[in-house]
Amino acid sequence: MAEQYKSLHPIKYYRDYLAHGIRPDGREFNKFRPILLNVGSIDTADGSAIAKVGNTTVVCGIKAELCKPKPDAPKCGFLVPNLELPPLCSPKFRPGPPSDQAQVLTQLIADIIENSKCIDLNDLCIFQDKLVWCLFVDFVCLDFDGSVVDACIVSLLGALKTAKLPFVEYDPALDNIQVNMEERKHIKVHSTPVSTTFAVFDDKVILKDPTQEEENLCSGILTVVFKDDELCCVHKPGGSPLTQEELSQCIEESKERTLFIKRLIDTAV
Amino acid sequence: MPVDHKRINGPDETYPYSLYAKTNKQSLNEKHEDIKRTGQRSDSRTFLEHRKIFIKTGVVSQAKGSAYIELENTKVIVSVFDPREIPNRPDYSLKGEIYCEFKYAPFSCNKRRLHIQDTEEKQYSAIMKQALESTVCSHEFPNFQVDIYAMVLHNDGSCLSAAITAAGLALAHAGVPMYDIITSVSLGIQQDNLFIDPTNEEQSICLYPRTLDTDHGNVIISKLHMHNQISQFYQSGNISLEKINEAIGILDKTCEELVPVIQKYLVKHVIRNLKDREAK
Amino acid sequence: MALCEAEKTFVLHGVEENFRVDGREREDYRPMELETDIVSHAFGSARLRLANTDILVAVKIEVDVPFPESPHQGKIEFFVDCSANATPDFEGRGGEDLAVTISSTLSSAYSSSLAFDLRKLCILHGRKCWKLYVDILILECGGNLFDAVSLAVKAALWNTQVPFVKNINIDGNNVEINVADDLYACERLDVKKAPVMVTVCKIGDKCIVDPNAAEEQCSVGSVVVAVSGNKFSTVYQTGKGSLHPSTLIESLKLGFEVAKRLDEALWETLSQIQPDQDVGFLK
Repeated sequence: MAEQYKSLHPIKYYRDYLAHGIRPDGREFNKFRPILLNVGSIDTADGSAIAKVGNTTVVCGIKAELCKPKPDAPKCGFLVPNLELPPLCSPKFRPGPPSDQAQVLTQLIADIIENSKCIDLNDLCIFQDKLVWCLFVDFVCLDFDGSVVDACIVSLLGALKTAKLPFVEYDPALDNIQVNMEERKHIKVHSTPVSTTFAVFDDKVILKDPTQEEENLCSGILTVVFKDDELCCVHKPGGSPLTQEELSQCIEESKERTLFIKRLIDTAV
Repeated sequence: MPVDHKRINGPDETYPYSLYAKTNKQSLNEKHEDIKRTGQRSDSRTFLEHRKIFIKTGVVSQAKGSAYIELENTKVIVSVFDPREIPNRPDYSLKGEIYCEFKYAPFSCNKRRLHIQDTEEKQYSAIMKQALESTVCSHEFPNFQVDIYAMVLHNDGSCLSAAITAAGLALAHAGVPMYDIITSVSLGIQQDNLFIDPTNEEQSICLYPRTLDTDHGNVIISKLHMHNQISQFYQSGNISLEKINEAIGILDKTCEELVPVIQKYLVKHVIRNLKDREAK
Repeated sequence: MALCEAEKTFVLHGVEENFRVDGREREDYRPMELETDIVSHAFGSARLRLANTDILVAVKIEVDVPFPESPHQGKIEFFVDCSANATPDFEGRGGEDLAVTISSTLSSAYSSSLAFDLRKLCILHGRKCWKLYVDILILECGGNLFDAVSLAVKAALWNTQVPFVKNINIDGNNVEINVADDLYACERLDVKKAPVMVTVCKIGDKCIVDPNAAEEQCSVGSVVVAVSGNKFSTVYQTGKGSLHPSTLIESLKLGFEVAKRLDEALWETLSQIQPDQDVGFLK
């Protein structure tokens, strides 16, 4: 009976649950789903990690390649993040070019990486003006069940912190490159950004770490990114307005979570 | 080439660093010599031994059916979705169709893969479709299409056969009516050596001929167990008729060896489902 | 074309009796016509007509950089265009899947260096090589595309003339190639072992080759075999059905025999064509 009610009146179904102070998956409003992080399982990538937030699964793989730097930034390497939402992960997506959602989230992730300065592009320089690293950071979503950005950022850090680059000798006179595959070094990760997603239901109830269903039904989404104890990025793409108190509370709550996620990443690495 | 505005593009030209590796790596020929001399493969399997299989269904919560398969390092995930009306089709079709898409994750291979499906992936999608088409009862869902997506997370050889076996399982998990259990196995051939379930390195060994007029190549077969039918057969390289006959015999046997693994898993799955239902 | 059950039975009985609808036996081909060197702008071309199937192949050559993983090899690329004129089924994007299948089967068949040696297309190790673009145009579709395409491709490659490289100047990272001025100083490709494909079609309990459109409809499954010399270079199963292992082996055998005969016939025809015939008045 509940099944039919749910599919006929999804919003009402949710309201009934929320009126009793609980969510349909048994969580309270401010409870997160369990997080799982597994690093280094893909050895064709230079660094890799799989993050699970509840059902949501994201694999992050880093592949390093060599290239010439841009003339206007001769000491800067490249970091190219891309999030793929393949049709495999949800019936919402069809084969073909990336959906709007994939493009928006990719840009958001790129902004988070840039703003949090977790990677200093100057560290990726091998020889000024001649040779730098280009890190292709590819996220593949395997299960799309809400709060994808949170999972992406966790997997990103897992992958970055375990990534190892080989030692490169460059001879500028001969334009000769030699790579020592045995000797590998970690990349310096300067900060640990942590993102937390909130959903606003019916303009008033705030749900933490929403599932895909909740994201679909809610009236607004908010993503707060903290870097250590500094606020790094707040992303609120429209939706129902929030009062200042509500916003501050969300920020406060995501700050509390930062420590927990940081500890999780450190234990996994 | 037109610029892809929907993704973040890196610099125009990048090179994989392995091209400039200093260490004098063993060439493929030397590796094959080693294998021939010792009679043992680099992961200490015998030539006709399949890698251990790990399978799991229900890994994608949003899909109707899904399966994950692991052959040591090779990792493939497959998901199957609810039937939907065949798009762009004016007339009514009495039979249902299946749509297959095979994709490598960008970081799954030694060389970085691009996001857009390349010709190899398109060909593998077609082979997958060929293998699965005769497995599903397509008359049960007329004018509808079942989408099957396979994603390789880590390529260490025999991805396509792993994807086909997993797709069979994912279809069963999704409750799509099927005639039979499908299993698929790859084989690499170089001279007199046959490698069942080759790793990526062994596949490369089999890619090029060692000498003039030797047998070399890769074979993949998919088999329907109960009906004893081959639903898909693909070979590439340069192989004599006798060798192919031998290969078919061996592959046929190995496919049969995989069936109990799949059966056991399916039975376990059914029992668990029944228990769940009772509990409700 | 749609066939009713009675028509299908008729075709099936014909195959059973070794007397097919158009009077052929099971292993017979329909008449073929082959012309080479018909596209003047191309480096090599051929047109093949197999009953109603009409294929035009043109080969273009360009200088390219070899793949880093195979620095000693040239490149070859196949492109199949299923024109909507060929059959109404190709309208819109209908022919796309088939085109991809044909071109990937071709590249797989030509991939072994024993079938077609790409090393001969290398100009300078790791720096320069020739790239062959093989464009295949399907003008009319009367069944049995794989066989017709493979024959036409082989004939076009046989006809192809690779420019003769006179000298190579290396200056640091720049490589300059000078091609012989004489238009007729060209090299021919070695295509003796280039694969020939045969589609073996299972109808009822028997296997046939060169099915026409009606017979293709009755088939439960077919196998495309590409034979190069006396080896298989590619085997690809097509069609909706599946095959018993023994049927598969049987059809491989049949395909192998027929492909060898077909290859001999093609070679004989090609050797009758006089190479470099003088054409025009400026010669």
